[in-house]
Amino acid sequence: METTILCLTRGGRDSYPNQDRAIALAKERATGLLFLYVSNVQFLGLTASPVLVDIETELDEMGDFMLAMAKERAEKAGVQVMTTVRRGVFRRVIKDILKEYPIQTVVMGRPGLETGITTTEYINELVQEIGQESGVEFIVVHQGEIVNHFNHEES
Amino acid sequence: MKTKPTFIETLLLNKKAKTDLVQKAKIAGRTFFNKNASLHRKIAKIGLAFFLCAAIFSLAGTLAAFIQPAQASMQREGFFISGGLVDAQNQPVSEAQITALLPGNDQPIAETESQEDGSWTIEVPRVPEEELLVRFRRPHFKSQTFIMRQNELNTLRQEGIYRFGSYTLERRISAGFWIATLIFLGVLLAIAFEALHSTTAALTGFSLLFLFSYVASAFDPDLFIFSFERGLGYINWEVIFLVMGMMIIVAVIEGTGIFQWMAFQAYRLSRGRNWLLVLILMLITAAASALLDNFTTMLLMTPISLQIGLALGLNPLAFIIPEVLASNVGGITTLVGTPTNILIGAYAGIGFNDFLIHQTVGVLIALAAMGAYVLFHYRKEFAQQGGGISPTLYQKLEQNAKLEDPNTLWKSGLVFVIVLAGFILGEQVHMVPAVPAIAGATLLLIWLKPDVHSMIKAVDWTTLVFFMALFIVVGAIQEVGLLSFVAAGMSGLIGENLPLGIFMIVFGVGTVSTAIANIPLTASMLPIIKFLSGTIPGAGSNVLYYALSMGAAMGGNGLLIGGEANLVTAGITQQTSTPISFKEFLKVGLPVTYITLTAGFLWLLIHF
Repeated sequence: METTILCLTRGGRDSYPNQDRAIALAKERATGLLFLYVSNVQFLGLTASPVLVDIETELDEMGDFMLAMAKERAEKAGVQVMTTVRRGVFRRVIKDILKEYPIQTVVMGRPGLETGITTTEYINELVQEIGQESGVEFIVVHQGEIVNHFNHEES
Repeated sequence: MKTKPTFIETLLLNKKAKTDLVQKAKIAGRTFFNKNASLHRKIAKIGLAFFLCAAIFSLAGTLAAFIQPAQASMQREGFFISGGLVDAQNQPVSEAQITALLPGNDQPIAETESQEDGSWTIEVPRVPEEELLVRFRRPHFKSQTFIMRQNELNTLRQEGIYRFGSYTLERRISAGFWIATLIFLGVLLAIAFEALHSTTAALTGFSLLFLFSYVASAFDPDLFIFSFERGLGYINWEVIFLVMGMMIIVAVIEGTGIFQWMAFQAYRLSRGRNWLLVLILMLITAAASALLDNFTTMLLMTPISLQIGLALGLNPLAFIIPEVLASNVGGITTLVGTPTNILIGAYAGIGFNDFLIHQTVGVLIALAAMGAYVLFHYRKEFAQQGGGISPTLYQKLEQNAKLEDPNTLWKSGLVFVIVLAGFILGEQVHMVPAVPAIAGATLLLIWLKPDVHSMIKAVDWTTLVFFMALFIVVGAIQEVGLLSFVAAGMSGLIGENLPLGIFMIVFGVGTVSTAIANIPLTASMLPIIKFLSGTIPGAGSNVLYYALSMGAAMGGNGLLIGGEANLVTAGITQQTSTPISFKEFLKVGLPVTYITLTAGFLWLLIHF
């Protein structure tokens, strides 16, 4: 299996520039691209109302749709692309994916300052930890620009 | 003087019961022996023995009944003092201890407790010559003593009974008052700031209340709040069973994909007109919230609306925020539309039809005003032409929005219509809404034969426990008198001015519930509204309860933290790169709150 770039995306307009960066990188390096969407229903934990709905399936379908949009963009650019929707904690999911696919580089967006559900500190710590464990290159982007680059082999 | 009809009646009844039993024994015995006697002889003997025993017990019962009334009749040679106890708000005071004492003697000669309606009767064996003291004691009230002097004693002596009439007990601010108040506020804050899960917060309050009542009060009796039995009395079981029944029905309906299908049809119908799309989505959400609940509606509508918005190349929040606002308002129309309406309906005896008749037009006016504001606020987004949707994405969207199980849909739809008919027609026979809800849920289980375990799991027990614990926490502040003080304060402000009362409830509750969870707020407002409904002329039409319903639900639109539907919608949008921010929600939600509150207020003024 050829090496692949993993792009973590949440879909939506704000993530298009970051998806484009990953697509450009995959084209430049002539590698495959894997879009990953992670859903997490922890937000339901503090509500008192009954959750009678299979919300995880709903979110899977939503994630699948987001990734279909990303896939269309990548295919238009001529990049070989795969997509996967996973559930659970971000850190755990990334570690699992790195075991399943021959990932060379991970491209991920910087957390939103106002509305982000993670913090920059969390992402930096995550990048350090997983980067050291797996030797994978991490590129953190914001509006299509690289804001943090971590390469364990170089460092 | 009392006569002895009770004794005679009791005796006759027991005799009749005994005769019936013997008669039954004879008939049964004949039946047995008419059959093959040799074959059934042993069984017949056992049967005969059983009925003989029954007859003996019946006789024993008759004798016991004879002896007890005889004793009672002897006691009825005494003298009776009766009356009623109310608080300063004219609400009955139950479980007060009433003792009769002779002057200079702390040993009571008789004692009793007041009933649920505040009434009490005490029987004294003799009438003293000069004075008789009647003492009223109850936690959180001042201990008061009434001295019966010659006039009263003469009446008692001559007539055998003395009627006090209504006696007002004064509230006392005890240490328990402060403890209960602090616990209630603690629970509210823990829920508001998400420090604890709502159920955990309510259960913590519940536990603390009883720890103080039983453990701490052993050291200082002033810390007593209420007994466990008294606390349980505050749980409204009608609410619990109605919510439970609706949970099962909703769990079946939600799996059919009807919401997603309707959202997709809205997209198709709008034919690229975004303003029309948002209005249709708002109407669907409002209608669905009226019939089910707004939390579930938003759980189902948000993912598909996000997909539609993104597919159109528009900001999906321009669809989703109006939807959540409409869901909070749409639920007001019916008894089952919001948890707060369920609380109000069960407490005040307001039925499904009443909500429908008195709220629907007001809600439609509010929705129209909201729609106008939403179109104005998002005018740039709606004027934008999306980039069109590719056939692949269209197909995916259609697939995600397809009806999952049409067979289940029509069956569950039919049952739902029957349940609604039960809500509407049940009022004619005084059937509480919990009955059709539970019956409908049972019918679905029988007809559709879903996995019962998964259906029972669909009943969210944490929510039911939350309600039960919350009822007790709110019951505690009612018990210690906090709500009476608030009610008295509000009554002082409002006086007899009904429009002012409606205004204060609609806007006051509406403003508070922008930040405070509206379920505990509504639960704690109910006794206050009951009091005000009794003191303000014209408020007997339940108009203040409708004002509470509107304020509590519409206020939830003010802030992102104002309602659970808002929070869950925000939670879903956080799974995308276009999450709802506090500020974004505030910009639309706050003006909409006051626009809809004004519409609701004006409607109530006109209608009542």
